[in-house]
Amino acid sequence: MPQLNPEFFVSQLFWLAVFFTFLFVFLWRVSLPRIATVLEKRQNKIDENLSSAKELQEQAMEIEKKINDQINKAKLETDEKIKETINALQEDVSSQLSSLDKDLEKKVSDAEKEILKSKDDQMKNINNEIVNITKLTVGKITDIELSDNELNKVIETQKGSFN
Amino acid sequence: MAAKDSPLKQFEIDPISNIEFGGYNISFTNSSFAMLITVLVITLFLTLTVNTRSIIPSRMQLISELMYNFIAQLLSDTVGDNGKRYFPFVFSLFMFVLIGNMVGMVPYQFTFTSHIIVTFALAAVVFIGVTILGFINHGIKFFTFFYIPGVPFYMHPLLIPIEVISYLSRPISLSVRLFANMLAGHTLLKVFAGFVVSMPFFTGVFPLAFIVALTGLEILIAFLQAYVFAILTCLYINDAYHLH
Repeated sequence: MPQLNPEFFVSQLFWLAVFFTFLFVFLWRVSLPRIATVLEKRQNKIDENLSSAKELQEQAMEIEKKINDQINKAKLETDEKIKETINALQEDVSSQLSSLDKDLEKKVSDAEKEILKSKDDQMKNINNEIVNITKLTVGKITDIELSDNELNKVIETQKGSFN
Repeated sequence: MAAKDSPLKQFEIDPISNIEFGGYNISFTNSSFAMLITVLVITLFLTLTVNTRSIIPSRMQLISELMYNFIAQLLSDTVGDNGKRYFPFVFSLFMFVLIGNMVGMVPYQFTFTSHIIVTFALAAVVFIGVTILGFINHGIKFFTFFYIPGVPFYMHPLLIPIEVISYLSRPISLSVRLFANMLAGHTLLKVFAGFVVSMPFFTGVFPLAFIVALTGLEILIAFLQAYVFAILTCLYINDAYHLH
């Protein structure tokens, strides 16, 4: 078995020491720090991105909150304005209605007064006519000349039976 | 079987250039060449793929990062925060064994991890290092590592020698595990390769198919043994911090 031949033991150990030491020092000093920097750089980048993403998210949430606040405020303002307008319109309508009512009442009462007045006039006319007719009729039948005052008295006394 | 057809012939060391220093033979051999290739592959790969240092990695850079994270995770799982200091060593060990095994899977390429002297040297470095670390961390109290609390007192004369022997056999088990796996796998491949040539007519395709399947298995074992080597190193480092 060639492995147990001591002829090359020293040579094997010597070159193993040389190459392994070189490999160890090279990896320790050159290769591994390089890989470590890359990994660290990547981790830093990831952390940075994550933190900036978080910041942006917070900002976005703040903006969203602001927008919602503004929307709510605008809603409240609009509601208020709508209410105010409705109230103003209602007041306007009711005042106009009341003035219309007053006008109508006045007109109705005026008309009633006129009607009463014309009724009185008519009644006077009727009285005069009755006096005249009665004077004529009595004159024709009895030749008695009645004065207006006497007739009016009689008519006044009889009025109760007319009405 | 003639010596040149032996399945063990692949493990023979051939000097490429003969070097002698202070009376010792330190020839640059095919084994040294495989180590050189391994070291070049690791250093070039890990350096060139991470050269751009991109935040969004290329596929090759991703492989380097995955290996880095794999060993970093392994160390933090087994040792915890103390393990970070040993990361370069464990990573070098893992990559050296892994790529050494993989280079060995290339046909006609030498497998230096199939040599007990190489694996034993690596295991001895781990063993000696961990023992020194244990004494640095705990001083003379490190010997209480062999004392298992909570067992009946009359068991201690039996258990303490067992613990000492198991501790001392760590480098042997660590090195023999890797060495034997590599030896067995490559020998088996070679034996079946011999069958492909020697079997009559087209029946040679059966051992050939077996070789294809076995190559897949060997690649798995190459990774697995590197992983086992690394994780056992981590566990030993952990033992140097936390006694029973």
